[in-house]
Amino acid sequence: MIELDGSLGEGGGQILRSALSLAMVTGKPFRISRIRAGRPRPGLLRQHLTAVQAAAAVCGGTVQGAELGSVALEFTPGPVRAGDYSFAVGSAGSCTLVLQTVLPALLQASAPSTLELSGGTHNPFAPPAHFLQRSFLPLLARMGAQVDIEIVRCGFYPAGGGALRVRVSPCAALAPLELMQRGALVRLHAESLVAGVPAQVARRELAAVQAALGLADEALAVRELPQNQGPGNALLITCEHEHLSEMVSAFGERGVSAEKVAAQAVRKMQAYMQSGAAVGEHLADQLLLPLALAGSGSFATTAPSQHTLTNAEVIARFLPVDFRFEALPAGATVVRALTRP
Amino acid sequence: MTKRTVIFGFIGTQLDSGGGGRRWEKWRPTVALTQQADLLVHRIELFHSGRHTHLLDQLRADIGKVSPETQVRPVELAIEDPWDFGQVYAALHDHARGYAFRPEEEEYWVHITTGTHVAQICLFLMVEARYIPGVLLQTAPPKKQQENQPGTYALIDLDLSRYDIIARRFAREHADAVSLLKSGIATRNARFNKMIGEIEQVALKSRAPMLLMGPTGAGKSFLARRVFDLKKVRHQLAGNFVEVNCATLRGEGAGSALFGHVKGAFTGAASERAGLLRSADKGLLFLDEIGELGLDEQAMLLKAVEEKRFLPMGGDREVGSDFQLIAGTNRDLRVEVARGRFREDLYARVNLWTYELPGLAQRAEDIAPNIDYLLARHSEEAGAQARFNTEARERYLRFAASAEAPWRGNFRDLSASITRMATLAEGGRIGDAQVTGEIERLRAQWAIEAGEPRAPADLEALLGAPALEQIDLFDQMQLANVISVCRAERNLSQAGRRLFAASRRAKESANDADRLRKYLSRFGLDWKAVTA
Repeated sequence: MIELDGSLGEGGGQILRSALSLAMVTGKPFRISRIRAGRPRPGLLRQHLTAVQAAAAVCGGTVQGAELGSVALEFTPGPVRAGDYSFAVGSAGSCTLVLQTVLPALLQASAPSTLELSGGTHNPFAPPAHFLQRSFLPLLARMGAQVDIEIVRCGFYPAGGGALRVRVSPCAALAPLELMQRGALVRLHAESLVAGVPAQVARRELAAVQAALGLADEALAVRELPQNQGPGNALLITCEHEHLSEMVSAFGERGVSAEKVAAQAVRKMQAYMQSGAAVGEHLADQLLLPLALAGSGSFATTAPSQHTLTNAEVIARFLPVDFRFEALPAGATVVRALTRP
Repeated sequence: MTKRTVIFGFIGTQLDSGGGGRRWEKWRPTVALTQQADLLVHRIELFHSGRHTHLLDQLRADIGKVSPETQVRPVELAIEDPWDFGQVYAALHDHARGYAFRPEEEEYWVHITTGTHVAQICLFLMVEARYIPGVLLQTAPPKKQQENQPGTYALIDLDLSRYDIIARRFAREHADAVSLLKSGIATRNARFNKMIGEIEQVALKSRAPMLLMGPTGAGKSFLARRVFDLKKVRHQLAGNFVEVNCATLRGEGAGSALFGHVKGAFTGAASERAGLLRSADKGLLFLDEIGELGLDEQAMLLKAVEEKRFLPMGGDREVGSDFQLIAGTNRDLRVEVARGRFREDLYARVNLWTYELPGLAQRAEDIAPNIDYLLARHSEEAGAQARFNTEARERYLRFAASAEAPWRGNFRDLSASITRMATLAEGGRIGDAQVTGEIERLRAQWAIEAGEPRAPADLEALLGAPALEQIDLFDQMQLANVISVCRAERNLSQAGRRLFAASRRAKESANDADRLRKYLSRFGLDWKAVTA
């Protein structure tokens, strides 16, 4: 039984989700205690339970302590079963976090699977569905895994109501990934999604992005979604390089001006551009597990976040893989997965 | 396994409403409940009047999106006017009575943030009376800087015993009430204190009749008045305390005194008389020696107690009086029922909360605190302090608690005794002289009382005519009196102690009981035969 301390690092739900993914792919049970210790509302929240339930459904696992407010949980995975799953995630959670939890396991299943996910698709504190689609999945495809996400409807906080349709083809063994360079810039573009929010808001955001990043008119797009997918507004800036695409996002909020939202996204994109590293902070986090499953691989990124370091520690508890973080002179870091002898 | 959370609540026609996308920027209590990160609502029973179908559909759809785990069950209630208390209460009451509660598996939270104030009040009453076995739920909007958040929720459990601070307050109030019932006398007799504790609860929770049993002077009337005082302090009674000893009501005038009469009801009824029952309207009626009441009056009293209506003497129209009844008796009413002298149905009616007040001799440990109380009362009435000398007090207490002091008149005797000593006190001091004099006085008083046969013993019935003929009148007189004393005492030892008190004082010890047993056996009698 692998024992985990839920208060490690940032002590959020990420440890739990990583552990669930790892337990499913390795078949190893785990026990996590001190879940969200020290938070104002310690213990499991609804969004965590949703991930636990999805994991249990995909592998027929058994869970103890899967209750709201529970500070300890024990998960014993069963064999991963391919199939057609649908998970309804309330707006408190996010479709993409649930997908992230069960995806590694479904890749290892013996047959293709489909997932129908409903709930939030563009939530703060979770990867937007577009990010997975454009940035993460192409890299996964390069490692040999075929996963398609169709964004049926967008869902924003708090109304939710989005829908994703995901097709997962099995991939017996992921190939290692080497990603040290981003390559030449191919395209930088920004889009603003608005649903139930005046298009004017989107235009103002894009105007601010254009001014800051010097984009051409053709690189700007207002995407007006049907009213019933709202209310919501997400500003996405995508930069495509020769070897990968990165994306940053910011969310419109009542009482926050369009220019302020634009400034947030611009700041993130500028930080990435200036770092020169191939992989941004959030993408780095997502790549650790596939790399560990492949057994080896490396990429260059910015200085690793606490999130990433904790994630690496948890992975090492389940898999015979260690991560080495090598700082480069220019502030970048090379992350290297090494299988223990 | 944690229980499923089920919420009852009214649709908020104002708070839950809102059209278009902007509704998501608004705090909607019912929707917000399903958006809490640490709360999973399994089901909402959503009360509505059938007039807000559009809002209802919207809420169901929105809750379905933000919380797919939550089932929303619309419950249509027959409410025309949500501000009509009677309608809303009746509708909720009907719903709650017909609802299949499963408290083993489900937890019920009653949301009172939405709905009219009348609805809130009715929901509160449903929970308070346990028609809905749950707790109240209150929600509040998010603070300004956290807009878009679902706000906060809080549970209010009406089980007050769960709140320490309230429990302490109740304990204090309970202590105050008990102290009031005892007039602040710190009685020590465990049985008495337990009884008072229960009377306090019954007095405050019930309007049913009470029956106080006990020998004369045991404090029945005193206690009845204190119960009245307690209920008055707690605003449970608005009327007066009316007290009557039924032994004084025998004969013609009894009915009229109790139930009143109309003008011209009988010779001398020159004007209308309200009667004691009507004087006690909204108050408390204490009927002492209820066993002395005639059978006709008993029947009328029963009707008055059960229906709160009765017919005055000579009247043909019923009048009403809503009084609480406390009955007192020194007789065993069961025996009176068996003998046909007391109505069984009236007995059943008053015999719900029955308390037997022990006599003073059975509460020897309470004599001292009662002396303090009586002295304080005397001082107040006389306007002058009276205190015991330490030794005098000890001597008096020793006597008072001894077997020599039967306290036949109970507290009435003690009160008179203290009044006498306090009156005779010199310079406010009750000394040896006053105590000596008082003890003599009490002894003499009790000796006289004991000497008076309560009912002459029927020697013929006891011994049979032939045997009686063989006994001298001289001995018959003595035997009859000895038997009277036996019948007044509880057992052979006590009777012996009283009969041979003089020789007992002279000698170091004496077996009084044996002496009495031998005396009785000379006539072929024993304790059982004479006291049967």
